[in-house]
Amino acid sequence: MKIKIIISVMLFFITSLFIIGATTDDGYGPYDPQPITLEIPSGWPKPSTNIFANNKLTEQGFQLGKKLFYDGRLSKDGEVSCASCHQQFAAFATFDHDLSHGVHNTFSTRNAPGLFNLAWMTELHWDGGINHIEVQPLFPLTALNEMGETLDSVIFKIKKDTTYKRMFKAAFGDATINSQRMLKAIAQFTGTLVSANSKYDKVKRGEAAFTPFEEKGYEVFKAKCASCHKEPLFTDNSYRNNGLALNRFFDIGRQRITQLSSDSLKFKVPSLRNAQLTFPYMHDGRIYSIPQVIDHYRTGIITDQPTLDPLLQNRIPMTNLEKNQLVYFIYTLTDSSFTKNTRYAPSNGSITDPGFDKH
Amino acid sequence: MEEKRSGIMNKNIFYKRTFVTGCILLAGITSLFITASFSVIDKNSSAKTGTLKIIFRNTANGKPVILRDSLYNNYFGEQYSISKLKYYISNITMGNNGSSNDMGGYYLMNVATGDSSLELTLEPGNYNSLGFLLGVDSLRNCNGAQTGALDPMNDMFWTWNSGYVMFKMEGNSPASTSDLQRIEHHVGGYKGSNNVATKIHFNFTGTVPLEIIANSTTEILVETNLDNYWHGSTDIKISELPVCTIAGELAKKIALNFKNLFSIKNIRIIP
Repeated sequence: MKIKIIISVMLFFITSLFIIGATTDDGYGPYDPQPITLEIPSGWPKPSTNIFANNKLTEQGFQLGKKLFYDGRLSKDGEVSCASCHQQFAAFATFDHDLSHGVHNTFSTRNAPGLFNLAWMTELHWDGGINHIEVQPLFPLTALNEMGETLDSVIFKIKKDTTYKRMFKAAFGDATINSQRMLKAIAQFTGTLVSANSKYDKVKRGEAAFTPFEEKGYEVFKAKCASCHKEPLFTDNSYRNNGLALNRFFDIGRQRITQLSSDSLKFKVPSLRNAQLTFPYMHDGRIYSIPQVIDHYRTGIITDQPTLDPLLQNRIPMTNLEKNQLVYFIYTLTDSSFTKNTRYAPSNGSITDPGFDKH
Repeated sequence: MEEKRSGIMNKNIFYKRTFVTGCILLAGITSLFITASFSVIDKNSSAKTGTLKIIFRNTANGKPVILRDSLYNNYFGEQYSISKLKYYISNITMGNNGSSNDMGGYYLMNVATGDSSLELTLEPGNYNSLGFLLGVDSLRNCNGAQTGALDPMNDMFWTWNSGYVMFKMEGNSPASTSDLQRIEHHVGGYKGSNNVATKIHFNFTGTVPLEIIANSTTEILVETNLDNYWHGSTDIKISELPVCTIAGELAKKIALNFKNLFSIKNIRIIP
């Protein structure tokens, strides 16, 4: 009986709070979040379990994340946004750049990877140093050769913008702007970038057919590439030494994260999806074209490295015909509906054509 | 013009009325709510609470730690000054005759900002143990963006190799071989054997139990004695280890001394 009274009193109390809340206007507009869901393509594994566990996906959160992603004010000089190095027409890699440009004419030391299907990754970056999608932006935001800013300064700048106050309220219930909310919003955008509508996907769904040449390429792929570039994500998210020489930045890859010499020169296996658009290749963009990448695996692998992947000890023998077939198969992994999806483009602009790329 | 103004007036009156009605409603409901909660308290008097305040006093050579000021000597006679001292205290537990109260919480002690204490609300009674973690537990290290004490704006989060710096000390020493004779100890690491978060435990059994009294504050003064940072379970010489800014072997070595850093100096009850 007593519990009943307490519950009804509490309910009354809560309801009245809502009524009062509804009539109090803080000047930053409504809070009416529309839930959205992460699209899981059929036949795909479940996404990483904790990716959105503490970050409820809403349309408002996604839109806020998108605005932040395209906002140059997040950088020291106001020019470099996340999108500067992650361009939609390049599947969110940097088009035609081995390394990317940071503030004050600096260069990054690694090739910007494409951003898609991140919800299926447990760790991010070429060395897997990032353990959660929400904390990833902290690196480019503060790296002196990327966005070169301090977190305090970023928050200071966006706090002054009334539009952001409205959008933070719309996404999180009040106009408080802090690093946690900013990072969660960005993760709602980047974590829901899904690319699963290439010709390959259409073939798998029975909506299209490979040409005989592509079909042969698929056979080559399955026989010689698929153990690391595992379908359907075209990566197994592992770290491997694929036989490249140590570069001029002395980048030892995964070893820097684990401190284990057995991880020397190991880098994350990148997805082959959209590979046609994400050139140049490898962690430092040292190889320009897909045929050249295949040639590296056929003849270029440096085999006297103690951490060389066991699967590459004999390199990957392949005929010229097989190589060409493989290239054409890789082209079927290009998802133009992803790179042209206006939902991922800035709200007030259009997807820049690579031809007009200002870099 | 007139019309516009009267429109605003009407709006204002509307808001005022709504506000007043809301206030009356809220007051009424709050009193009902309070009455309701009191009826619960009558049944079970433990709903009254007391406060536990843990104060950390940082010392070296018996002197308080003052940034960029005092000079201290470690066990090996190496002189040093301190410019930064920050560490996480988390996962506080209070033991009560075998059962343990997990109070949770994450607190950043920071000499520069004067953050040197934490407060918890507890059920009154006698407690016979106090535990906390120096650092941040593994789970919270890989759980995405955090706020409050764990906000990356506190400059205690590694951006390139995700994870919290659990204990940060910076300073200078003539014994340091590093650039500008720097000491830069960012001690962290949460994965497997690299985990440096250290469980600290105090028992009050056999001595006076820790008493929490309703509506009072029990204040525990914990000394963080940096003398034990350099010497204890292992030797940390500035000349050999001036810089440690990554997780791994060096950080683990430093963390071996963590368990001797803290001692309880005083407990008092402030009514």
